[in-house]
Amino acid sequence: MPDNPAIQGVREAFLAQFPAASSDQALKALHDAFLSRKSGQLTALMKTLSTLAPEERRDFGQAVNTLKTEIETAIDEKRAALEATRQPSGGVDVTLPGRTLPMGRIHPLMRVRRDVEDIFTHMGYEILEGPEVEDDFHNFEALNMPPDHPARDMQDTLYLDAPVAGGTWGAHRFEGGQRGTVPEAQVRAATLLRTHTSAMQIRYMKTFPPPVRIIVPGRVYRRDNLDRSHTPMFQQFEGLVVGEGITLADLKGTLEAMMRALFGEGVKVRLRPSFFPYTEPSAEVDVSCRACGGSGCGTCKQTGWLEILGSGMVHPAVFEAVGYDPDKYTGFAFGMGMERVAMLRYGVDDIRLFYENDLRFLEQFPV
Amino acid sequence: MRVLVSWLRDFVDVTASPDEIAKTMSVRGFAVEGLEHIDWSSPESNIAKADAVIDFEVTGNRPDCMSVMGMAREIATAFNLPMRRPVARGKSSGEEEDGSSLRLASLKAVEKSDIDVIIENGDLCPRYAGAVADVTVGPSPGWMQARLQASGVRPISNIVDVTNYVLLEMGQPMHAFDFSKLEGAQIRVRTAASGESMTTLDGEKRELTDDMLVIADAQRPVAVAGVMGGAASEVADGTTVIVLESACFNPLSVRRTSRKLMLKTEASMRFERGLDPRLPVTAMERACALLETIGAGKARATVVDRYPQRIEPLTLKLRRSKISGLLGTSVPEGDVKRILESLGFTLREATESGWDVTVPTRRVDVTREVDLIEEVARHYGFDKLPSTFPALTFAPPPNDPRIGRARHLRTVMTAAGFSEAMTFGFVASAAAAPFASEGELAPIANPLSENFAVLRPSALPSLVDAVAHNRRREQRDVRLFEVGNRFTRSTGERRSIACAWTGAASLEHWSGGARDVDFFDMKGIVERVGEALRLEVTTDTRRENWLVPGRSAAVLARGERIGVMGQLTPAIAEAHGLPANDAVYVAEIDLDAAENLAPKEDMRIEALPRYPSVTRDISILIDAALSADAVRATARAAAPPTLVQIREFDRYQGKGIPEGKVSLSLRLTFRASDRTLTDAEVHSAMEAIVAALIERHGAVQR
Repeated sequence: MPDNPAIQGVREAFLAQFPAASSDQALKALHDAFLSRKSGQLTALMKTLSTLAPEERRDFGQAVNTLKTEIETAIDEKRAALEATRQPSGGVDVTLPGRTLPMGRIHPLMRVRRDVEDIFTHMGYEILEGPEVEDDFHNFEALNMPPDHPARDMQDTLYLDAPVAGGTWGAHRFEGGQRGTVPEAQVRAATLLRTHTSAMQIRYMKTFPPPVRIIVPGRVYRRDNLDRSHTPMFQQFEGLVVGEGITLADLKGTLEAMMRALFGEGVKVRLRPSFFPYTEPSAEVDVSCRACGGSGCGTCKQTGWLEILGSGMVHPAVFEAVGYDPDKYTGFAFGMGMERVAMLRYGVDDIRLFYENDLRFLEQFPV
Repeated sequence: MRVLVSWLRDFVDVTASPDEIAKTMSVRGFAVEGLEHIDWSSPESNIAKADAVIDFEVTGNRPDCMSVMGMAREIATAFNLPMRRPVARGKSSGEEEDGSSLRLASLKAVEKSDIDVIIENGDLCPRYAGAVADVTVGPSPGWMQARLQASGVRPISNIVDVTNYVLLEMGQPMHAFDFSKLEGAQIRVRTAASGESMTTLDGEKRELTDDMLVIADAQRPVAVAGVMGGAASEVADGTTVIVLESACFNPLSVRRTSRKLMLKTEASMRFERGLDPRLPVTAMERACALLETIGAGKARATVVDRYPQRIEPLTLKLRRSKISGLLGTSVPEGDVKRILESLGFTLREATESGWDVTVPTRRVDVTREVDLIEEVARHYGFDKLPSTFPALTFAPPPNDPRIGRARHLRTVMTAAGFSEAMTFGFVASAAAAPFASEGELAPIANPLSENFAVLRPSALPSLVDAVAHNRRREQRDVRLFEVGNRFTRSTGERRSIACAWTGAASLEHWSGGARDVDFFDMKGIVERVGEALRLEVTTDTRRENWLVPGRSAAVLARGERIGVMGQLTPAIAEAHGLPANDAVYVAEIDLDAAENLAPKEDMRIEALPRYPSVTRDISILIDAALSADAVRATARAAAPPTLVQIREFDRYQGKGIPEGKVSLSLRLTFRASDRTLTDAEVHSAMEAIVAALIERHGAVQR
């Protein structure tokens, strides 16, 4: 029944309105007017089905469906055409490189330092910095190295022409009624460049009563010429733990934990007796060679071990110098060079690379 | 200390191989610096053919181990073996009469022999032994030369070789004088008179000062005590009578003298660490026995031994509880006794709590209980210690906030494309000079080189060096920063962040748009650093000699100067090895100053705006010299509080703009927190602003 006048009428009405519908909204309105399930004109046509003779119903229904498809197709096509006109023109070669965001690198020594700080923060240590210029008392004398002590030769010192005020330290501990009382927060007349971070052992212990659990990272200076394994300035960190019943076994356990965190679970740690004036007993600490896994190679001079830090139990003379009772308290201390760790971790064989700041070196480290 | 293994075996029957000895001793406190295997090929050698030299690193506290005997004692303890000691002839029957037997000559102590010994400074020389011997100078036998050579000592003559042999074997420095050259047959141990001088064995003329101890004859100094003998009394080919010296000198005095003369010898290295006051006579007996054994001569059987104040051994308490308290493990009593006794300590069971331990006089390093515990731990083995963990008995205090701040700055700077540099804390004077007046520089008294002559007054000179380093290595675009310390006389040690930028402002891209860094790129970085420090920073014109005029500014926060920024002058760029026409922008901010200014409390958020804002653009023609800051200030002063932001969005000079003028376009944003602004309100605000700009600056609205 294609020429049913009612159907024809609806079709003509649609065709009359369709050309003017040139927006999404107009198309939507048109769609609703004709195809809405509730109020659409085609729905109305279908509702007349029951009034027809049974034999006419099939043809009528078919004709309405054909019209429905025709209207849907027309609206969809027009909608797609409309959408196409709104897209920006011009494609791009998606294989060309993108614009790189500039990203600098953190210095490898600072990566090591960050790791060490995190390891010890995790273990409940206080991390703090101290002055780089020091006086003789804190750098040597209180550390059981009186003037003319031969051990001073171990650390060739750079002296200042005239005293300079050193940097402050520990300000965060003197605010808000913390337990510190007498702030010796500044070196008033520094006469030398500190040769080790151990100087802060003295400053800290003179200021705060035990127990102590600190890590002091920072730059230190020695009168060394530049070569593959020496620089006149390098980075160290100092560890100090003091309390009642602190033992050499505690030092061993702590160092093992640090080395595993720095070099991986498989690393072996060895303590060797040695000598430092400010610790007794003293121990050099070795880690198993990463290059050969401990079987012996050129890197470790066939020993399977690499020296990594110096440590020991705090010498009673140091406790006496800072006013701690050496009969009541014991403690351990250790000092490690960050360059050494970075060299082992990253396979750097020339320490000077850390101080040349060559971007070709720095940019090898991940962002 | 190079130690010949076959020589060690004179004192201890250690059957372990040299490698095993080296390995064991390296965990007993003696790091091994080298091991050389030796094959003695000389047929007349009476030394075992396969041999080795172990180079032990003897720590500064163990002068007693700077000898074959000292090391043998340690090895005997480590391997749990008995130690054989040299004995006087007749006291032992089993000794072989060959060159390596451990024979001592019997010398009778006398008040005065052919030589007279007078100690004038007893505090600087606790003991002095002298003996006279008749000798025939010639070469020493092959075995002795071989041992000396293997130990790193050059053979000279039988007499000198014997003194060196005893030095190496027992650790006692000795000296031989030609008796005929000693005026008045006298040895006087005294301090030098000021103005005295002498020529030492190395041929150098030494000016002596009155704090130096010398050995003199009746007239003049013949040796610098404990350091080096004099050329005038040197044993020579024609010498027939010698005086042997075996003495003990004050360590501090020897050290000072050696340092002052800049003369370090095998003798001074031992004396300055402290030697056994009981050793000189035994060493003398050993030397005299050796002279005889090798046929170099014969001692006159007496020794003058000046030892006015006998030095008694120290007795220390060793408490059992302290051993375990310090080590964290209990060492079996049998081990404690075995170790200490083997090392020469005498233990007396004093009380329940522990022992009284007598310390051998050679152990100058053992003065406290803890030193004894170290001896026990060292030979018990650090490897036997358990691994424990110190209990955390208190709430850890917060970390130094400067550490977190520096980390934050690193994140911000790397995100801005800057890589972190690490440079030395000292620079060349010339490099430092532009950054601080001369009186402000802190020179180093004993610099290694001119490049490290003064503490840096700014991190910039070394940072610019790093830029130049990269520039010379095909890196045109360089952005570096450093967080570190700097030093001036008036302000002392201060922290700063320094940055340097040369080359492209953005990374090269095929789509173009590349341009080189300019002032405002660097200013953006400075502002970003400010944000990271919770400070709003501004800049103001400030002339620095090392910055290009007009591109040089002070960095301010809360009205205080906290830094400086600008373009480096071509002269300074060139001085650092950069091409003069490279534009290098730098900035440095004082972190200590910034920290003081930064808010301490937590930030509080502002409520989000509930009403829309209104923006208005305005273009004005003003004097080119007028600062944007001044324009902004005028606009702000004239505007109602609803003006929330002013931004410069265009600045134009050139065609269509009169000479000396500039067209500046501003975008003003108005907003009220309690209502929607009306057109009329904004209109009147704009009128007031324009009127003020015209009145204050003679601006012309375009």
